[in-house]
Amino acid sequence: MAGSDLFTGTLDLLILKAVSWGPRHGYAIGRWIRTTTADVLIVQEGALYPALHRLERKGWLSEEWGESETGRQAKYYKLTTKGRSQLRAERRRWQVFAAAVARALETA
Amino acid sequence: MSGKQFRLTDSVRNAKREVDEELAFHIDMRTRELIAEGVAPDEARRRAIAHFGDVGGISATLRREREARNSERQRQDFWSAAKMDIGYSLRWLQRNKLFALASIATLGLGLGATLAVVTVVNGVLVRPLPYFDPSRLGNIWMTMQGSSGDPYDLPLASGFYLDLKRDARSVNAAAFRSWSYSLASDGNSSPDVVSGARVVPEFFDVFGIRPLAGQPFTRAEAVPGAPHVVVISHDLWQRRFGADSSIVGKPILLGGEAHVVTAIMRAGFSYPRGAELPAPFQFGRRTDVWTPLVFDSSDVQNYGTQNLSAVARLKDNATLESAQAELTGMMKRWLADNAPELKLGYRITSMSDQASGTVRRSLLILFGAVIFVLLVVCANVASLLVARVASRQRELALRATLGAGHGRIARQLVTENLVLAFAGTLVGIVIGNAVTRVMLAMVPGSMPRADDVTLDWRVAAFAAIVAVLAGITFGLVAASSVRWNQLAGSLHAGGLRTIGSIRQRLGRRILVISEVALSLVLLIGAALLTRSFVRLQQVRAGFDPNEVLTANVGLPVTGQFDPIGNAPRWATALNGLTARLGQSAGVVAAGATSALPLSGAIEGGTLAIPGRPPDPPGQGPHAQYSVVSGSYFAAARIAVVAGRAFDASDDATGVRTIIVNREFVRRYMSGDQDAVGKDVQALFEFVRNSPMRRVVGVVENVKLTSLEEEATPQVYVPQSQFAYPGLALVVRTSGNPRNAIETVRAAVREVSPQLTIKDIRTFSDVVSLSLARQRFSMTLIGAFAMLALTLAVVGLYGVLSLLVGQRSREIGVRLALGATRQDVMRLVVWEGGRIAGIGVIIGVLGALAMTRLLASMVYEIGTRDLVTFVGATAIVAIVSLGAAVFPARRASRLDPNAALASD
Repeated sequence: MAGSDLFTGTLDLLILKAVSWGPRHGYAIGRWIRTTTADVLIVQEGALYPALHRLERKGWLSEEWGESETGRQAKYYKLTTKGRSQLRAERRRWQVFAAAVARALETA
Repeated sequence: MSGKQFRLTDSVRNAKREVDEELAFHIDMRTRELIAEGVAPDEARRRAIAHFGDVGGISATLRREREARNSERQRQDFWSAAKMDIGYSLRWLQRNKLFALASIATLGLGLGATLAVVTVVNGVLVRPLPYFDPSRLGNIWMTMQGSSGDPYDLPLASGFYLDLKRDARSVNAAAFRSWSYSLASDGNSSPDVVSGARVVPEFFDVFGIRPLAGQPFTRAEAVPGAPHVVVISHDLWQRRFGADSSIVGKPILLGGEAHVVTAIMRAGFSYPRGAELPAPFQFGRRTDVWTPLVFDSSDVQNYGTQNLSAVARLKDNATLESAQAELTGMMKRWLADNAPELKLGYRITSMSDQASGTVRRSLLILFGAVIFVLLVVCANVASLLVARVASRQRELALRATLGAGHGRIARQLVTENLVLAFAGTLVGIVIGNAVTRVMLAMVPGSMPRADDVTLDWRVAAFAAIVAVLAGITFGLVAASSVRWNQLAGSLHAGGLRTIGSIRQRLGRRILVISEVALSLVLLIGAALLTRSFVRLQQVRAGFDPNEVLTANVGLPVTGQFDPIGNAPRWATALNGLTARLGQSAGVVAAGATSALPLSGAIEGGTLAIPGRPPDPPGQGPHAQYSVVSGSYFAAARIAVVAGRAFDASDDATGVRTIIVNREFVRRYMSGDQDAVGKDVQALFEFVRNSPMRRVVGVVENVKLTSLEEEATPQVYVPQSQFAYPGLALVVRTSGNPRNAIETVRAAVREVSPQLTIKDIRTFSDVVSLSLARQRFSMTLIGAFAMLALTLAVVGLYGVLSLLVGQRSREIGVRLALGATRQDVMRLVVWEGGRIAGIGVIIGVLGALAMTRLLASMVYEIGTRDLVTFVGATAIVAIVSLGAAVFPARRASRLDPNAALASD
């Protein structure tokens, strides 16, 4: 297993980002995270799906069933309006947090 | 992802299937990926599953999450839809203001009346009494076989009570009796009179009540010669002693003597409350002071002076029935040992029956009447709604076209009506509160448990249930009158014509017919009560209450009751007062009596008449007796039919005299023309061997207990020869009796500073008050009948107006084809007459079946009194006709051209 486990908050942020350009199904979201982080972050299925359902219950994601690229029915997750503003907020928080940590590490 | 087709299913689906499908898809995709990387298909699938991990566990977690979300969403959907419906309803009601106001006002009136009656019924009949474990409390009376054969209740004599207390295994009994006190004020004004009760020390234990402060008196304080002590009520403590706790242990002046306050009772405890016990016992509305009831050695042997009321608490394992059986056995043994010829018994009754048994029937009838009103109100609103739906067909059709299912539309209609019903209920609660107060004010002091009447949770629950039921029923009525299958057609222009379906029209007719029928039943009931009431007021009472002022005056009685020793003092004061008042300016005649007619004060006693053949045991001559002073007969205008009234010669030293009434002579002296001059013996006198009394006069029969009572034997004795410490003044004036109030007060002050005066009122008020209960039922049922009739007429008018509107085209055709205006009018009036006629027939049949319930409340007329039935029916017929005439005239004035040209 290359890469570390994700913090819950980070996983949420990445999922929201993954669907920010349009609906994706769970498998595509997992793959997107892996490829865009160049295999640094690998999401376990056991963490990914509960997270998706949790975000859906929070009303940040909505679901749609549609035909996938393989012709099979799949569940697509779509960013809701509420989810989009959440993404913006989370992203800002992350940037502040990352910058702060980076600054701290540099001064040391 | 373009070109993908989405299903609109972001809603509730089968959680398990969905989760399984989602995970299977994932594994499938992973397998494909691995195959693409060159792994053999079977191996690829195995690795995909292995990589996934615990499929079952994850699937279960997701399913739980999913189900929780689904139910959450269903709830949200429900509430958001409800919110939408309510918002929509409010907007709709706002657009239809007139309809909304009419329905809410109608509902408010009906529910207001209903809630008021329910509040009173609840407080008086339903709520538990405000004491500890009230279902185990009772009252004990003695019963005696009356001359008519029916047993009647009597208070207990002290001997019987003390036996009960000593021997009864099933009850703890406590005796009490009324005793009013004057309470000295701080200033020099005349003292207040406070309602008191003398009670045995066990009294408070029977109620299971502890004082707020201090200790109730003990047995040691309830023996002859013990220092005076008193327990005061919470109310008196606040009213008179500024809620100062240091009053406990201090003396207060009661009846001119110092009594040490030993305790302050808890708020709300004021037993005995006068309206809950028979009126002749003269308890105050609420009791403010309790003093020890003291028994001396002679009381133990006294089985003859019946003057004690008793409360009892059932002991564990005892029931009212077992207690009654034990008491009956005790009385049988006592009678066998002491007086086998007497027909005495004990009767134990639950305290709640004792308290409100007398009004149960009339309150339940009132409750029934108000339910009728509520039904009429609901029918009226439902009828409005049905008409509304007919004109909303197009709007509903639009909603249906835009995707609202029938269920959704029905739900919207129910929501609308729930909103309507709740608004009506809120208005009803406000009106009901006011009406409750009016109702209680109509029967001042005589409604038992009036203090327990409040809007409590039971009333609130009733209101809520009625609101919900009414809302749902209205909603369903509205939904069932929607023509679902024609909804689509309604959108076409032609569909705008709202003739209303057969079902709608029939529905409205049935509603109006039932309104007419219900209001006729109410009207007949109200008319029966009104006619009885008028007859009661015309009854020859035997006295003339006009231009007479009355007031209760009395000297304080403390310690041992000693009527013999105190007689001269009492006689001097009260005879002095009536004599002085008789001389006063503006006073025509002044007297006083111990039993003011219709005031509730009555006393009865037995007499012996020499020469009369022996009577069966316990059924000898019995009469209501009054002690009178001054020119009582002249002041009350009680006619002296033979002999003379009392005068100055009937003094303490003169010949013992008595005056009897006509009924006494008729029943006990064989109608003797020469009753005057005969001797009778009044066994009710305080002295052991009552002396013979000479009959000096015969007077007219007087209605003493109620205007309804049959002529009863009555006798009068002079205050000079048989003194009472307190009497009711009867002062006949020239002109307005209220002008004499100051004269009376001044005379009372001059005669004795110890004399107290209370209950100053005109004699007419006393008479009027004695009819309070009858007036109560008559007024309320009358008002209900008027309300119901008004609504029924409005309903009839509505149906006929709509009919004329809907059939204007047909009427136009008729007119064009040569029908006369009269023909058209007849058509509409005939339609109205048919509806009203059916309603009237049903109403009369209903009244015939139901007015029997009023049997105990009508006087001198039958419950099927023809005049009443015909009169009430005529009234309903006439107003129905009135309601039909306006639409009929409108129809007859239709312009045939315009009517035919419309749509």
